[in-house]
Amino acid sequence: MMDFLRDYHPLFDFFLLNVGFAFSQQIVLRAGVFSVATVGFAGLGAYCSAIMVKNYGFGEIPALLCSMALGMVVGFLLSLPLARVRGVYQAIATLAFVQIVVALVRHFEGLTGGALGIDRIPRLIDTWQLLAIVGVVVYIIYAIGKSGVGRAFDTVRQDETVGIALGISIRRYHTLAFVLSGAIGGLFGGMQALTVYVIEPGLYGFNSMVTILTFIVVGGRGSVLGPIIGTAVIVALPEISRPLAEYRQMVLGALIVVMINYLPNGLYDSLILLVRQRRAVRLDKQAKEKVNAVACA
Amino acid sequence: MPSLVLDRVSKRFGGIDAVSNVSIEIPESCITGLIGPNGAGKTTVVNLITGMHNLTSGQILLGDIDIGRAPAHETARSGVSRTFQNIRLLAEASVLDNVVAGFHRLESSSLISGIFGFATSLRESRTFRERGRELLARFKMERFVDHPAGCLSYGHQRRVEMMRALAMEPKILLLDEPVAGMNDVEAYELGDIFCELALSGIGLLLIEHNIRFVTKLCEHVHVLDAGKIISSGSPAHVMHDPAVVAAYLGTA
Repeated sequence: MMDFLRDYHPLFDFFLLNVGFAFSQQIVLRAGVFSVATVGFAGLGAYCSAIMVKNYGFGEIPALLCSMALGMVVGFLLSLPLARVRGVYQAIATLAFVQIVVALVRHFEGLTGGALGIDRIPRLIDTWQLLAIVGVVVYIIYAIGKSGVGRAFDTVRQDETVGIALGISIRRYHTLAFVLSGAIGGLFGGMQALTVYVIEPGLYGFNSMVTILTFIVVGGRGSVLGPIIGTAVIVALPEISRPLAEYRQMVLGALIVVMINYLPNGLYDSLILLVRQRRAVRLDKQAKEKVNAVACA
Repeated sequence: MPSLVLDRVSKRFGGIDAVSNVSIEIPESCITGLIGPNGAGKTTVVNLITGMHNLTSGQILLGDIDIGRAPAHETARSGVSRTFQNIRLLAEASVLDNVVAGFHRLESSSLISGIFGFATSLRESRTFRERGRELLARFKMERFVDHPAGCLSYGHQRRVEMMRALAMEPKILLLDEPVAGMNDVEAYELGDIFCELALSGIGLLLIEHNIRFVTKLCEHVHVLDAGKIISSGSPAHVMHDPAVVAAYLGTA
């Protein structure tokens, strides 16, 4: 048992970090914002924590708080121009943001180590702390989902015009989604830096962006469990199918195409939808039988 | 409750006067009718009132407040509610969730209270769900509570939209062809509900093609043609106005 834990705990850390990124991605998609900026927030958060801890000797708590705050501020700034555009334009603009973060990291070599990255970052966060913070984020996402804010996100995503007619300020909720996504992305970026010893710009590039999107596409965006399931599947996939590990990106791409075509709501949300439809049909049948029984009597 | 007054309202799209110099009053506790041939500008009037389109000129008063240039969501928050001509429901959500979405205007919980006052926000959600169920009962839709809204029949979808509009506890309710596609029995069932709403103090604007339905329900009817009001008054007066007959049937 202990051997198993020792062998797999880096994988478990990796899974927990990615669950955080998945939530950062989910919250924007839930509000109908097609942002892929999560990996950019994560990059900023990671470098912020790494530099603060390694160069300036800060502890993990101030470093992580700064990473989170940085994510929030950048999320807010991004929302200023991007709350005006929609859909694919938001995707393109946030993709540009991700590239800018990578370019800046490569450029300021003195601070960030350029393409080589930062190594020998002390590991200040252990698996339990990671698990605790994921727990807190799960609670927050759940609480938001159950509150009026979650309902407003759902309404805006499905039909903006209806949202406006019901008194929802689209701009306000899109901004809120960006800020929340930035906060979660920055925080988990910081935790990544303080868990994995080495960070480099490649971690925060296009591949990671696609991977994070896949978590949501596979799991589903409508619930708390969706992103967790999606992340578990994607993280476990190369472990289960070692021979395919080299073709990871290809497998991911194929998986996205298959999911979008056949299960566009993701594994978990499709299941929920199916259960709900079944129940509706059953209740309908019961009601009709009752009416018939009354009519016959 | 305040009444809604449109004062010489105009809207130009490029070179076209979609609505010009329209003055209508939608008094409280009353059903006001707005009829007119296709393309007359009826829906544009609704869009102007709700702030979905910007006014070119004129003003719109809700009580003493000019809402003519307020952003659309502010107008909704101040108590102007609407239904859509082409039904717009949240297709993924259940019927009850669609109705509950309508309570947004009455919500007190913010992001912070949603996270830290989880119990309070849950309680609020529960209250809204209870009230949503009451609305469903009023429209005889209880058995569809958990149905995905997209799966309902046309007439039922219209009802869901109306319940959602009512969940806002509106002062003014704009109904854009609410009984289109319904048979007479269904239509008059809804008509009874409209009358109840008017009695409770809400001011209703009823946009309809079904002239019989309008004449039965409305005390006051305006006829719009090519963006202009061509006749106003009691249903009997309007129906015999030569200008209205000409607009609907053409002149010989």
